[in-house]
Amino acid sequence: MSWVKSVPSSGDDVFDEEEDDLSLQNKEWRTNMEKRAKEGYRDGADAGKEASLQHGFNAGYREGAAKMVAIGQLKGILSAMQCWCQQQHLNSPLLRQLLQDVVKHEEAMVRNMEMEMAKLHPQANVRDVTDHMEDLAVWGADCASEEGDCAMKDCSREEGAEEGIFSSLSVCRNPTCDTFSLEQRLGQLMKTCLELVAELGLPEELSHHIKQLMST
Amino acid sequence: MALNSKSEDMFDVILLADDRFHVEGYREGYEEGTRQGLTEGRNHGGTHGAKLSLEMSFYYGFALTWKCLLQNSTEVNTHRKKLKTLETLLALLQSFPYDDAQYENLQQDITKTRAKFRQVCSLLNVLTDFREFVSTAGGLSF
Repeated sequence: MSWVKSVPSSGDDVFDEEEDDLSLQNKEWRTNMEKRAKEGYRDGADAGKEASLQHGFNAGYREGAAKMVAIGQLKGILSAMQCWCQQQHLNSPLLRQLLQDVVKHEEAMVRNMEMEMAKLHPQANVRDVTDHMEDLAVWGADCASEEGDCAMKDCSREEGAEEGIFSSLSVCRNPTCDTFSLEQRLGQLMKTCLELVAELGLPEELSHHIKQLMST
Repeated sequence: MALNSKSEDMFDVILLADDRFHVEGYREGYEEGTRQGLTEGRNHGGTHGAKLSLEMSFYYGFALTWKCLLQNSTEVNTHRKKLKTLETLLALLQSFPYDDAQYENLQQDITKTRAKFRQVCSLLNVLTDFREFVSTAGGLSF
């Protein structure tokens, strides 16, 4: 019985029904295409990630390794000095203190690195959003005209890119500041170590090596 | 594009559109995936690289300092064996590229270096409580 009701509600006009049908097909087609685009996006994202993960890992590995050479060596130098002094029955509270400071500094450096990484993630999310916005614009442009407002699009894109650089700079400013003071602190620790080597009357060769470490 | 060709069969048009949307989606996805992969990979790599570099640099500083101290001591001749072992450890550390994540003998060389360091410690009569201090502080795992 329901169909009886539905007929008058759709109106007497036959064309209306056809139009409904058409728009329904249109809608279905669009849904399908959107689905295809989304599937493509997912496939592409997986492939892109897989292809770049190792590359990113290698680069990060090298960076992380380079950052820790000086502090690692300094800890090794001071540890050896402490062992030596113990065996020579030399008691240097300053040496003990410096070693503890260096251990603390190493921990701070590791923490700083982890924090910098955590900061990278929200940045990626912001990028996600802007990308999606860009996507929308691209889809819209596709539907409208192929050319014509291209120059405008490029213009706005450049502006956006510039903004991106500036905002990332201002975001990065703090961590680089932290890194700078961490580096300064490391320099101080090495200087104190150098003074201690002289004070304890340890070989010149060792001072030479610490100086080398300071210049890297 | 092929879509503009009027002689196209309707079926082909649909299939091509299907492909086109998939390809466009794929391209954008690939870019985003690449970005994500680079960031994630870099983060993971950074932690691993830093950890290993801390350990190996520690060995290097430790061995080099002992070498300096023993070479310049009054009883150099009694330290021949220690010095030789220290030299071997230093050579090991200098020859293996521990900052290269894809170095094929990485694991093997790490094991060798750690073993040599242990040998150095026992030859130098380094107290166990020192080793404990270092291992808790620096995260060295023997």
